[in-house]
Amino acid sequence: MNRLLFGVILVIVSAAMVSAQGGVKKKRPLPDEFGRVIINNNSEKAGLAPVVFNHWLHRSKFTCRLCHVDVGFAMKAGTTGIKAADNARGFYCGSCHNGKKSADNVQMFEACSKTAVPADKTRCMRCHSLGKNVTPKYDFAEFTAGLPKGRFGNGIDWEKAEETGVIKPVDYLEGVSIKRKAITAQKDFALSPKLEGMPEIIFSHKKHTLWNGCELCHPEIFVGVKKGTTKYSMVEIFDGKYCGVCHVSVAFPLTDCQRCHTKQVQ
Amino acid sequence: MKGSVIFSILLGLILFSSPVIQEPCSNVSMLYGTAYAEQDWKTEFDDICGRTQDAMAYSPEELRKLVERCDKIKPLIEKLGETERKVYLRRLEMCRELFVFTLESKEKK
Ligand code: HEC
Ligand code: HEC
Ligand code: HEC
Ligand code: HEC
Ligand code: HEC
Ligand code: HEC
Repeated sequence: MNRLLFGVILVIVSAAMVSAQGGVKKKRPLPDEFGRVIINNNSEKAGLAPVVFNHWLHRSKFTCRLCHVDVGFAMKAGTTGIKAADNARGFYCGSCHNGKKSADNVQMFEACSKTAVPADKTRCMRCHSLGKNVTPKYDFAEFTAGLPKGRFGNGIDWEKAEETGVIKPVDYLEGVSIKRKAITAQKDFALSPKLEGMPEIIFSHKKHTLWNGCELCHPEIFVGVKKGTTKYSMVEIFDGKYCGVCHVSVAFPLTDCQRCHTKQVQ
Repeated sequence: MKGSVIFSILLGLILFSSPVIQEPCSNVSMLYGTAYAEQDWKTEFDDICGRTQDAMAYSPEELRKLVERCDKIKPLIEKLGETERKVYLRRLEMCRELFVFTLESKEKK
């Protein structure tokens, strides 16, 4: 594609995106709300507040792969089908939140249990917190103050935070993860770092594998050869497909055009 | 007398199964898997699905074997309790489908 033409298209698409967003009045989430997931398949039915899960806190401590491959959380809000009993048996949230295991030398408070001793209630409400006046242990502004700034999303440059070692996400959970060989031995067999047919897009296979693990992307998100489809459009990406699975709601969002399209959008 | 016969048989068995005299090539165990008892599906699962990151390094034949090994433990996982079944069937599926994906990608080339 001709560079000038591409630039023009970028501008048009951006304009379309902006107006589309204005049309539905979908307000951009605040930095602390970005990556927040509300889980409510059964909580309210059971007389409890819906569960609030924040990615910013958890991803500062663990890799995406740990939760989405090893623990087995789905990549779409509400679709894992987490039950209180699963948590109590030590799966899903309970693979960490069991009142025994610890991370960063802090014991992870226990998830759901049958006992309804009043003393437990505050614990239940740490997760079953939507609409409740719960003061979290971690304050977003305080917690993120020392992290490198980003332009959108959480307002944090997560990649840089990791590169510079300000955060060190753990990739292994005893009793849950499989001991793997370090991936560093493998070369970035990738496609050249830039995607075929669209020279301006950065995509590092190797970096993404470190964060996500191969099986999270293939074939669920990128079917690739299977259907012979290697072409995807920006509209589909905005619709939450392909790169958009992660880059709409958790990783830096699509509004940050230049991070993928290296050429400055005017 | 009898004791020493049994002893040497045992010794033979132990030596035979010890890794020292096994073929150094790890592909042997990779291809055929190790014999496992039913409750040992977890060891087998770990061995198979701990290899996903190296998927590109395997030959089509090796990948096919890995897929077969996934299919073999599936019925064992289906017998587990509700939660474990749900969690491990998803994990197995993700791992199996990655091997299938890599296999198809290699065969296309
Ligand atoms: C501590 C565990 C944990 C970590 C670490 C984690 N996630 Fe999640 N993620 C979850 C849970 C739980 C859900 C909600 C699943 C559900 O509701 O069924 C979720 C949901 C998602 C969703 C769907 C969001 C939506 O609104 O539909 C995406 C996308 C996602 N995660 C991407 C990521 C990425 C990318 C990373 C790494 C930067 C990551 N996750 C790290 C636990 C985690
Ligand atoms: C991989 C481990 C892991 C998993 C899985 C996990 N968490 Fe956490 N979570 C943590 C750690 C570590 C903390 C910090 C605990 C502390 O300092 O008290 C935490 C803290 C929290 C907090 C407290 C935040 C605050 O500021 O008070 C909530 C709420 C929470 N998790 C919800 C969940 C929910 C809901 C799930 C399942 C959908 C889940 N977590 C799954 C590791 C995990
Ligand atoms: C670490 C986070 C966490 C904590 C703490 C927690 N829960 Fe849950 N709980 C969840 C999640 C996630 C779900 C699934 C939410 C949904 O789909 O509605 C859930 C669902 C439930 C449900 C819905 C019914 C069902 O069978 O799934 C009940 C009841 C429940 N929890 C009880 C409790 C009680 C009682 C406590 C306190 C003793 C508690 N939970 C503490 C995370 C937590
Ligand atoms: C963040 C998502 C992501 C992760 C993680 C990831 N890939 Fe990919 N992979 C892609 C994308 C995007 C392509 C480009 C082709 C496409 O559009 O399908 C690709 C292409 C491929 C191809 C070429 C497919 C073809 O059409 O020939 C193979 C094989 C492959 N990946 C294997 C792997 C393996 C093995 C791993 C782990 C070491 C891995 N991928 C990790 C996203 C990912
Ligand atoms: C997460 C990475 C990412 C971000 C951020 C991103 N894009 Fe894209 N964009 C892609 C990919 C991948 C393609 C498809 C490449 C292909 O298959 O040739 C694409 C394609 C396009 C195309 C080509 C025509 C089309 O519709 O497919 C345009 C125009 C475009 N993007 C505009 C934008 C604009 C404007 C923004 C910011 C609002 C943006 N992109 C943000 C990854 C991204
Ligand atoms: C499975 C989730 C996932 C998918 C799918 C995904 N990404 Fe990412 N990507 C991440 C995470 C996590 C980061 C780390 C930075 C962050 O969270 O903001 C990241 C970082 C990046 C970066 C900055 C680091 C670098 O490589 O230079 C670029 C550019 C990028 N992604 C482009 C893409 C493109 C293009 C696609 C689609 C072809 C894509 N991503 C698909 C999760 C994903």
